[in-house]
Amino acid sequence: MGKIKQNPFVKKVGFNRIVLCFVLILLYGFFCVMTQGTFAGIDRILSALNYAYFLGFLSLGVTFVIATGGIDFSIGPVMFCCALVSGYSLISYGVPMAAAMVISLIVGLAFGIFNGYLVAYWSVPSFITSMASMNIAKGLASVFTKTQSVSWPQSAAEGGWYRNLVKMGDIPTGLIIFLLVAVVCAIVLNKTKMGRYILSLGSNKEAVRLSGVNVKKWEMSAYIICGVLVGISALFYVSAYTTVQPGYGDQYNNEAIAGCVMGGTSMAGGLASISGTVIGVFIIALLQEGILALGFTKDYQLIITGIIVIVAVFSDVLSRRRKN
Amino acid sequence: MGEVILTMKDIDKSFPGVHALDHVDLEVRKGEVLALMGENGAGKSTLMKVLTGIYKKDSGTITYEGKEVEFTNTREAQDAGIVIVHQELNMLGHLTVAQNIFIGREFKKGIRIDDKKMNEEARKLFQRMNIDIDPKETMSKLTVGKQQMCEIAKAISHDAKVIIFDEPSAALTETEIEELFKIIRDLRDRNIGIVYISHRMDEIKKITDRVTVMRDGTYVGTLITKDSTKDDIINMMVGRVIYEDPKTESMVPKDAPVVLKVDHLNAGKMVQDVSFELHKGEILGFSGLMGAGRTETARALFGADPIDSGDIYINGKKVTINSPQDAVNNGIGYLSEDRKRYGIVVQKSVAENTTMATMENYMKGLFIDKKKEKEVAQKYVDSLATKTPDVDQLVVNLSGGNQQKVVIAKWLTRDCDILIFDEPTRGIDVGAKSEIYKLMNQLAADGKAIIMISSEMTEILRMSDRIIVMCEGKKTGELDISEATQESIMNLATREIE
Repeated sequence: MGKIKQNPFVKKVGFNRIVLCFVLILLYGFFCVMTQGTFAGIDRILSALNYAYFLGFLSLGVTFVIATGGIDFSIGPVMFCCALVSGYSLISYGVPMAAAMVISLIVGLAFGIFNGYLVAYWSVPSFITSMASMNIAKGLASVFTKTQSVSWPQSAAEGGWYRNLVKMGDIPTGLIIFLLVAVVCAIVLNKTKMGRYILSLGSNKEAVRLSGVNVKKWEMSAYIICGVLVGISALFYVSAYTTVQPGYGDQYNNEAIAGCVMGGTSMAGGLASISGTVIGVFIIALLQEGILALGFTKDYQLIITGIIVIVAVFSDVLSRRRKN
Repeated sequence: MGEVILTMKDIDKSFPGVHALDHVDLEVRKGEVLALMGENGAGKSTLMKVLTGIYKKDSGTITYEGKEVEFTNTREAQDAGIVIVHQELNMLGHLTVAQNIFIGREFKKGIRIDDKKMNEEARKLFQRMNIDIDPKETMSKLTVGKQQMCEIAKAISHDAKVIIFDEPSAALTETEIEELFKIIRDLRDRNIGIVYISHRMDEIKKITDRVTVMRDGTYVGTLITKDSTKDDIINMMVGRVIYEDPKTESMVPKDAPVVLKVDHLNAGKMVQDVSFELHKGEILGFSGLMGAGRTETARALFGADPIDSGDIYINGKKVTINSPQDAVNNGIGYLSEDRKRYGIVVQKSVAENTTMATMENYMKGLFIDKKKEKEVAQKYVDSLATKTPDVDQLVVNLSGGNQQKVVIAKWLTRDCDILIFDEPTRGIDVGAKSEIYKLMNQLAADGKAIIMISSEMTEILRMSDRIIVMCEGKKTGELDISEATQESIMNLATREIE
């Protein structure tokens, strides 16, 4: 039996991720050329990164859920709900900044527990659960803020220190924190019992259950991780853009899921890559920045992310079919 | 024996890392039954998949009815008259028999489906096959045997010239197998070429004219069935002597303590008032027909399905089992009849599957100690002689027998005192089968208590110390191995059925 030789570097990093890195670089080159060089430079990159942070946390979170074979369509609206509830508490009820940030995490956690409990313990399909909580999140945020948009303080204002989350002077703190969290996520997914069981139950839940494993607990934990990351995402969103409006956030669902599946996480569950998700998110963020730079509206980005999701999922289906 | 209808010559096929078919030959003649035999992983299925266009061959030629052919999908093969009757039934339970048979090529009346004509055609088909099935019956209401007949009827309705049976008897009772053989003989007499894949030696002797044997992806040879003995065929298949050691009396000491006591267990329709005791070091066989409630009893006992009433005692102490987790904590391990669905996580490695039930033993603080995990997995790969390149291999790439060994390893790491083997050798070849038997005997000798559910009479009689027979959800009898015969078991297994 001859074994196929594979470059050890390619094997370790994964062919998929190497291709994605090239896509990222080519895309950047493409935008630079198309804009006659105006796209080049640090400003555009920083702007794209701002987008990548909050989206990245959403995408990391949903990676855990998709690894279990589930899906979460509530992440975008829940993220807005976190930002609105905590922001409104901050502005209108005078809650201190640090406490407001904790509130954001708690709201995310609560939705994670809610989604996870329904899916794992009541066997409600995750599709339905997350659709429902998407609407609950939107409604809750509107009720809580009396349908007003919330503006978090500017950098110079009192409590403005939270904006250091994204950028402290010239240091891109956002990038550092995001990558650190991604590393933690990768360790949790690949090196801990929780990650092992999340991936295994995504692949064959019944076999794991019949091994005497408490699958409900582990399945729920994936949603909880997702919820907390959504809470963190909200902080990075306001830190970059300060203003949040109730009733929105849906579009980020698609973008976060696109980043995740593009990175090689399988919608069928059982297979997930954190590094893939990170690169995928950078591609999505660069795309949105580039499309705006080319003078197109946001609508074109919606179309393109839609197509990306389909292509990524389809290629996953294809590779699965080939293996069988 | 008629002229040659299908020749496969020098067929070669490689997958990454595996030379699945190494210049294999096969010749099917009109009006004969050709057995295709070989251990699991010998390449039988791959060869059939190459034939019907599911896989593309690397080299070699396929000649069918005098012309060289290459099918690119099963539809093309079907249209040309080559059909496979699969081991797993591909039937839609909520449709009628006729609707299933003509699925994908329904008769139409305008835009409406002409159910009347389909029923009529199906009835004609069954008449031709000389079997009694109502075309209007809902598929899910038929027995497994009858469903299999429908599958065959579907194959014939394609105007097949070559029919491949892939382990058709795996789920059938003795009488259903007889009926199947009648149909196969009838097809043979009508000049159809038949390929019969099976692991059961007695069937091969009974039904086939020639035997082609494969081993490790190579063609070993072809024998005339009536001129060869069982041992000839087995020797060709495995190239080694097979372990046979039928039991004549119980190996369990008289004073062996009761490890498990099940008292008036009820769980749904399939488990009604089942009581039994299991002793230390005993292999307790559960016999019965399909749907007798044996698997359901095991699943209820293991906490996989809810219990309605009844008590379970382990080592004399009453226990509550509401989930597999409870069962495992009480020292019960369950090896499912359906490994792919319930036993293994195919996309995970041998090592990861081995430690699935005992993860907590392989932790270094918060993290999994992968080194230790691999060492333990390797230990069981060695002691069970699991054939795998290394413990990082994905389980999906192993053969059935080796997958079963991985599942066994999983429960051995857990050190369970009570092991439930549900059809432990289903879909496993002769060589690996005897290894599994040897292992089970060893486990019993080491003081484990084993419940073995099996539909194979020979297996029940060879392995069990005591036999419990079930029928339609009820326990109908209990036999010591010294008094058990095929007839006495069959008698009990059909007691509730008139």
